[in-house]
Amino acid sequence: MTPTTEPIVRIDIVKRFSEFTLECDVTFNAGVTAVFGPSGSGKSTLLNCIAGLARPDSGEITVMGSKVFSTNERKIVSPDKRGFGYVFQTSALFPNMNVWKNILYGYKLTPPSQRSAEPEQLAQLLDLTALLDRHVDTLSGGERQRVALARALAISPKLLLLDEPLASLDVSFKGVIIRYLKRVREELRTPMIYVSHSISEVIALADDMLVLSKGKPVAQGKPSDVLVHPDVGTMADYGTLENLLEAKVVERQPEQGLSTIDIGGVTLSAPDVDAQPGDLLTVSIRAGDIILALDVPSNISAQNILPGTVTEIHAQGPRVLAHVNVGATIVVELTPRAVTALALREGTPVYLIVKSNSVLILDAGGQS
Amino acid sequence: MSWSLLELTLRVAVVATLVNIPLALGVSWLLVKTRIPGRFVLDVLVSLPLAVPPVAIGFFLLLLLGREGPIGGIVHAVLGADIVFTWVGAAIASAVVSFPLMARATMVAMSGVDELLEKSARSLGAGPWRVFLTITIPLAYRGIIAGVLLGFVRALSEFGATITVAGNIAGKTQTLPLALYSAVLLRDDALAFQLIAVIIVIAIVTLVVHNWLLAKTIRAEVS
Repeated sequence: MTPTTEPIVRIDIVKRFSEFTLECDVTFNAGVTAVFGPSGSGKSTLLNCIAGLARPDSGEITVMGSKVFSTNERKIVSPDKRGFGYVFQTSALFPNMNVWKNILYGYKLTPPSQRSAEPEQLAQLLDLTALLDRHVDTLSGGERQRVALARALAISPKLLLLDEPLASLDVSFKGVIIRYLKRVREELRTPMIYVSHSISEVIALADDMLVLSKGKPVAQGKPSDVLVHPDVGTMADYGTLENLLEAKVVERQPEQGLSTIDIGGVTLSAPDVDAQPGDLLTVSIRAGDIILALDVPSNISAQNILPGTVTEIHAQGPRVLAHVNVGATIVVELTPRAVTALALREGTPVYLIVKSNSVLILDAGGQS
Repeated sequence: MSWSLLELTLRVAVVATLVNIPLALGVSWLLVKTRIPGRFVLDVLVSLPLAVPPVAIGFFLLLLLGREGPIGGIVHAVLGADIVFTWVGAAIASAVVSFPLMARATMVAMSGVDELLEKSARSLGAGPWRVFLTITIPLAYRGIIAGVLLGFVRALSEFGATITVAGNIAGKTQTLPLALYSAVLLRDDALAFQLIAVIIVIAIVTLVVHNWLLAKTIRAEVS
C-alpha cells in the first residue's frame, strides 16, 4: 500500500452520553485504520457517527473533501446518501433474501456511473460463487461475514466501515476473514476503518491505529508504536497477542501428525492440516510462545529454528515487543532482562525458536 | 337468513379493515421506528377506542358525521350524501372500534424486525421508504396479516358503535350482530342460533389462520 498524505476522513465531533462524552478531533488516512479501545470507549459510536447511523451533538465530519455532517452549516447527509459500506459484527444479512440478492441490494441502488466493482467480481474475490443461491440462514458465521463484506463492497464504497467483524466468529473462521480483508485491501484499495478490541487483528491488518479511552483519543500512529504507548499498554492484553500470518501448505506428513507450511519464503513445521499442498491458510503464533536466541541451538526438541533480524524493539513497562524479520515479520514478546542480557538492538541477527505445536492453524478444513 | 345480510356484513367489515391497514401500518411505523415528539400521546390515542364503551364512540361519531357535524356537513354539502344511517357509517364505526387491535398487532410485528437490518439497508443506499417496503414489511408480514385478521373479526362482530351511528335498518345498515340483536328481541331463537352459527364459522376460520400465522412467525424467530 502506498498511503496518500491527504486525509480520507476528518472528524471533529462531540457526542454526550450519560456515562461518558465522545470527544474526537482526528484524521484518518488511506489504507486500514484500526480504532482500538476497551468496550464502552466509544469506538462503535464513532463509527456510527461516520456512517450517519448516530448523530453527534456538534462538530463536523468530512470524508474525501465533502462534508457529511456539520452543525455550523446545519448539514446532515443521511446514511443512504453517504456511500460508505458498513459491516456489522453480526453480519445483519437480510433473512428475506438469498446470498445473491443480499449482495445486489445496495449494488442496484448505486448509480451506474459510480460503480467500480461488479457483484460477480466480488463474489469471486470472496469465494462466494458456490453460495449465491443459498438462503442466508444456512451459512456458517465465516460465510455470513464474507457475504456482508461483499454486500458492502458492492456499493463501490468510498470508505468501508467495519465494526468488530471478527468478534462473533469462531477462531477457525477468523483467519479466513482476515485473509479476505487483506485481499480486499490489496485488490480494491478501499480505505477501511476497522473497530476492534483485539491487538492481534490490529497488528495483522492495520496501517494506522487510533486508541480511544472513555470517549477520548489516547494515541494515534503506526500500530507497533501505538501498542507500546504508556497509556495503551494497560488496555492491550499482550498475553493474547498473536502473530496472524498468511501461510501456504507445502506438504503433509499425516503419519507424524505434522505438515510443512511456508510463510513469506521460510518453511515451518506445523501440526497436520486438512488441506492440499498449495492451499492458503492463516496461522497464529503467540508472541509469548516464541523463544529468541543469538546462536543456533543444538539438541533441541523444537522443530523450527528461523534465522532473522530484529527490525524494531518497543518497550512498555515489564514487557518488550521485538519485531523480527524472518521473511515475514514476527512479533516476539520478551522481558526487559532478556533484552539486556542478549544486548538486543535493531539489526541484531537472531534465531526464533518455535515449537510445531505453537503454530495454530486457524482455518481448519481449508475453505469456508 | 338472507344472503344480502351476509353480503352487507362482509362489505362493512372488509371496507373497515381495508381502511385501517394503511393507517395501522403508518401509526406502527411512527411509534416503533421513529422518535417523533408526541409519541406518548399518539400511543394512548391508538389504544383509546379499546378502553371506551363502543356506544360512546358511536355517540362521538354521530356528532362528527351527522349533517350538522364538521365532517358530515362537508360531505353533505359536497356530495349531497349522508354518512349517518348508511352502511358507510357502519363501516366507519367498525373501523374505529377495530383499529386498536390491528394497530397493536402490527406494532408488535414491526418491533420484531431487527433495527440493525434496517440500519444496514440504510447504509447500502436505501431511503426510509425503501427500507420500510423492502425490509420492514417483508420481515413483519406474517404478524401484520395476523393483525389485519384480528381487526377483521373485531369489525365483523361490532355492535355498539354501529347501531348508534348507522341504526338497525334491515337491508340497509343491518349487519349480522344487529340482526342477531333483533332476533333476540323478537324471541326468534331459531334465527338467532342460525346467525350465531354463521358468525362463529367465519370467526373460527379467521382465528385459525391468525394463530397459524403467528405460530409460524414465532418458529421463524426461534430458528
